[in-house]
Amino acid sequence: MHIDVKREIRQSGIGRAGVIILALVIFVALFAPLISPYNPLEQSTGSLLSPSASHPLGTNQVGQDILSQLFYGARTSLMVGFGVSIISLFLSFIFGVSAALIGGIYEQVVMRVIDAFIIIPMVIVVVLIAAYARPNLPVLILILSALSWQEGARIIRAQTLSLKERGHIAAARSFGGNWLYIARRHILPDLGPILLVEFIYGVRRAVFMEAGLAFLGIGDPMSISWGVMMRDAMKFSYLDVWQWWLIPAGVMLSLTIIGLTFVSHAAETVLDPRLRGAEIA
Amino acid sequence: MRVNTRRNLATYGIAFLIILGLNFLLPRLMPGDPLTAIYGDEAMIAMTPQLKASLVERFALDLSIWQQLGAYFLNLLQGDMGYSYSYNAPVWQVIMGSLPWTLLIVGVSLVLSTLLGIFLGIESGWRRGSRTDRTLLTGLMYINGFPDFFMGLILLIIFGVLLGIAPLSGALTPYSGLTGLALAWDVMRHMALPVTALTLAQLAGGYLLTRNSMLTVLKTPFMLVARAKGLPQRVLKYRHAGRNSMLPVITMTGIRLGKVVTGTLFVELVFAYPGIGYMTYQALLSRDYPLIQGIFLVVAVSVLLVNFAVDCLSPRLDPRVSYAY
Repeated sequence: MHIDVKREIRQSGIGRAGVIILALVIFVALFAPLISPYNPLEQSTGSLLSPSASHPLGTNQVGQDILSQLFYGARTSLMVGFGVSIISLFLSFIFGVSAALIGGIYEQVVMRVIDAFIIIPMVIVVVLIAAYARPNLPVLILILSALSWQEGARIIRAQTLSLKERGHIAAARSFGGNWLYIARRHILPDLGPILLVEFIYGVRRAVFMEAGLAFLGIGDPMSISWGVMMRDAMKFSYLDVWQWWLIPAGVMLSLTIIGLTFVSHAAETVLDPRLRGAEIA
Repeated sequence: MRVNTRRNLATYGIAFLIILGLNFLLPRLMPGDPLTAIYGDEAMIAMTPQLKASLVERFALDLSIWQQLGAYFLNLLQGDMGYSYSYNAPVWQVIMGSLPWTLLIVGVSLVLSTLLGIFLGIESGWRRGSRTDRTLLTGLMYINGFPDFFMGLILLIIFGVLLGIAPLSGALTPYSGLTGLALAWDVMRHMALPVTALTLAQLAGGYLLTRNSMLTVLKTPFMLVARAKGLPQRVLKYRHAGRNSMLPVITMTGIRLGKVVTGTLFVELVFAYPGIGYMTYQALLSRDYPLIQGIFLVVAVSVLLVNFAVDCLSPRLDPRVSYAY
């Protein structure tokens, strides 16, 4: 259990590459207002312009600057990614730990519901809900969170079950610590590395989902999203615009996901220590 | 074993109820008139009062929620999933028209990505740490980062727009009147790009699973014994290590099917391939709610059924699975 995730990631080449890529995307997202040449929503009469000195990546069909949209798109992606992952991780922790500690019928019910959710393909559920609710960004984050905590809860429950049997927890129990105290003081810190890995998985899944929904046209119409950019650019694929419109948006999205994949791959040894050393240095 | 089956049945029962519940409750939870929510604003404008009255009666919308639920189940049992006004046909009929295309590309890419993933996983795991392994691992993780639709778009641009060697959209050349081999060739040409996109996007999953279990299997004592017996490399690699390493890929088929189905939703849109995914997109555009609901029901239930079948079969393929609970 006592594996240092940070060290696992630092020691693997893939992990380091992932951290660098992610840092870049986060930088772009944080400083989007400073590095963007235009307001990304500002429309102008010059639509579908080719790249030039004033518009390095040209403009889209309503004359918005594509480079600025690309930078702001990182904000939407990461906001949904981190937002969903934090909320769903919280839910995973609550349900996973409580199921393991309380047990009995409560555990049975929670686990059956979790298993049921895991076998339903989530994207199609989100599409159905989004078709009716037409969610804006905050609502979308809540919907995605409500549908993505189940797998994490399963893993956290399994880990808690094994932690529960350890000596130090038995000791804490015998000194009169109640389950809430034990969950907070002993289980939470020991689950740390697993929570981190689950968090990265969660971000990746949510980034994926946000872009996909935006691509299908059921995201927040007011948000600037790489998925929307690709969807719009696809309609003009008979022009040359895909070179500076579609590809950059797709590359930014893929880079973000690749960065997260690399980091999680390096950290996966936490979930399955048998993989240690499987990594190529 | 028996306990597992019962528990499994309970899980699938709950999943089924969740799906039905969502389908029944969502339109009725929307603010305003439930009929508008079920059929959408656009349809309501074109509706005559008589039609409205007959629909209210069919959904039992003037009765209590329980009676509505009863009417909903009764309609479903009769195979009545409502009427798609954008296609002007019963939902069931519309879905059946495009389902074969989706089954075709989903099936082919699931088989291809499974076989290719297992093969690459075995090669990579066997030569762990070598240059082949390193290239495969990094390369496939890169590919894994490409969302299905971006993968599709790249293929579309390279092969469709730049090289012009693949058709840009559709599943058949319209009005060509092809038959026999020419027709088969036409279908294959049209599905080449969507299938490639789906296969590439799903490849990494099977590959990583196989590679990981390969690494574990290679360390087991039976591999040492097999080696000590002087078995040839080929037998060691494929019959001893390989066969044991592909089990997780098979037992995960249900989950991977879910991913391929999800992927096809986006890939079909890119290639305007006339399957369920493209139809979902059309239904979303025209806000054809009965059709969206029907698609949701058919897709979710089919994935559940395949999952269930795989769950029942996997203890036979791998007896260890039945102890894994």
